[in-house]
Amino acid sequence: MRAYGRERFVKRLNRALGLSVLILTTALLMLPLAALFVASLKLDSEYLRWPIVLFPKVPQWIHYEQVLGLARFAKAVVRTTLLGIPYAIVITLTSALAGYGFARYLVPANSRLFGIVVAMLIVPEMVILIPTFIIYAQLKLHNTYWPWVLSALAGSPFYIFLFRQFFLNFPRELEEAAEVDGCGPLRIFVQIFLPNSTAVLATVMFFAFNGIWSSYLVPLIYLKDTQTLLGVVMASEFQNPRGIKLTTLSMAGTVIYILPPVLAFFLAQKHILRGVVTTGLKG
Amino acid sequence: MLRKATGSAPRRFALNRSQRRTVAFSLFISPWLLGFIFLAIAPLAIGFLSSLTNFDGLNLPTVKFVGLANYVRAFHDPDVGFSALRTLIWGFVNVPVYLVLSFLLALILNQDIPGRGLFRTLFYLPSVVPVVASVMAWKVILDKNVGLLNAFIDIFRPGTAIGWLSNYALQGMTAISVWTGLGFGMVVFLAALQNIPDELIEAARLDGANGRQVLRHITLPLMTPVIFLQLVMGLINSFQTMNLPLILSQPGTYTQGVVAPRAIYLYMIHTYKQVFSNRLYGYGNALLWMLFAAVLVLTGVVFWTQKYWVYSENAGEGGQR
Repeated sequence: MRAYGRERFVKRLNRALGLSVLILTTALLMLPLAALFVASLKLDSEYLRWPIVLFPKVPQWIHYEQVLGLARFAKAVVRTTLLGIPYAIVITLTSALAGYGFARYLVPANSRLFGIVVAMLIVPEMVILIPTFIIYAQLKLHNTYWPWVLSALAGSPFYIFLFRQFFLNFPRELEEAAEVDGCGPLRIFVQIFLPNSTAVLATVMFFAFNGIWSSYLVPLIYLKDTQTLLGVVMASEFQNPRGIKLTTLSMAGTVIYILPPVLAFFLAQKHILRGVVTTGLKG
Repeated sequence: MLRKATGSAPRRFALNRSQRRTVAFSLFISPWLLGFIFLAIAPLAIGFLSSLTNFDGLNLPTVKFVGLANYVRAFHDPDVGFSALRTLIWGFVNVPVYLVLSFLLALILNQDIPGRGLFRTLFYLPSVVPVVASVMAWKVILDKNVGLLNAFIDIFRPGTAIGWLSNYALQGMTAISVWTGLGFGMVVFLAALQNIPDELIEAARLDGANGRQVLRHITLPLMTPVIFLQLVMGLINSFQTMNLPLILSQPGTYTQGVVAPRAIYLYMIHTYKQVFSNRLYGYGNALLWMLFAAVLVLTGVVFWTQKYWVYSENAGEGGQR
């Protein structure tokens, strides 16, 4: 009886300890974002002062209004969104097509070709990206958005993998019944499988759009500054017309830059984390 | 299972059907297959071919085959050795810290703890923050002159001005990278922990095993395949790390490195400079293929060690993933 009591005590102690570690870790992980937000409300002179001033005397909410009014920022937001949305839709569909083929058509070449998809997950992407840039530059396709169009049309091994794992779980009777009713392969895919896959479709679309929204290296090497994407724009501080850096105003811009992916993640976190597990455990 | 299903249909149709299925399969995967040929195989091949030439992007009509000269050159380039060493250090600092921390967090979260879902969500949150924004956020903490970390250390040791993004950029970069990746590792490890059958742990408990023994003899061995996968992917990603050191050392970015910090002069930064600053396309591609070879060798070595520490349910069967 006493041993049992002791065990329960140890269990509770462990849980309390675990909980405090978790709370502390969460605080540490949120600290950079909180610090960024607080700093974005300071005057530049407050931010650059030593010894440091933890909180601004008067929060400069106007920074958020001002940064939205900056043409360089606003234009990059629009440009990135206009590229990101069609890109995400197209790459999601092409990846879903391939994933569907790999999951539902066990023809002889299937496993060998799928082996290539898995192998592509291990090839360092830089070994492909840099020669691709060289080719596009020779074809005079840099400074255009063609590289994004082409890569969207080709789909991505990661998303194909994700869709394949998802489509494997559908019962075979589903498509057999549809076939008996005279449905063609594409109709089965569009009318039966896609409508039952909204969660994974949304997940891949989130990853794909956030990929464009966050990308830094690819727009940096492909696009000139006047037509570049948000990631490159946000990598240097905004300046006033006299060339003086607007540090905390740029931080307000960064907070706005972070918001869309964070909000989308909170809305769909259950599905997104499931997708993460699928790629992480088996990819 | 498939054959059984088609076997019930008349033979004439069965053949026909299997041909139709092959056509449908080809059509479904054709976008990927075309992309694979033109956007992966072609660049790989052209990259390799140009690594054997003096190509610089402008001399296409007069380009010359130079054999292995670009590869030989790499061995005489002191910056290659330096940056490769920095990259190795980076990989062997970053990956273990990431693996150990995310595994520990997953172990804690695997208990019956209130608010588990919320913690899981918040831990993953940094992973969706764009890399450029995460550098900006961390600059508020790590800045040499007005950063919160130095201000905190300054309380105990007045006059502190540690260059977390310059002289100690490797440590600073590790913090940013672990911050970004921790949630991913934790989510994956947690899912794997929850896949461990409860009966196994209960049986061990009944045999008198304590918590540590269960961890050592049941949980850890069953987790080794996932740890293995995370280790391989982590090492591959560390070796080609590019975004973080580039943002941290690009002149004109937030961190305003007028001089790029040598501590994070990684292999890919050196390669990037050869291609984009010096227009040495041939040499740059040679460096890329050396990286590729190094990654393959290292992955091979890790795969070889697998049989000594990775638990496999169907050893020798090599089941399809």
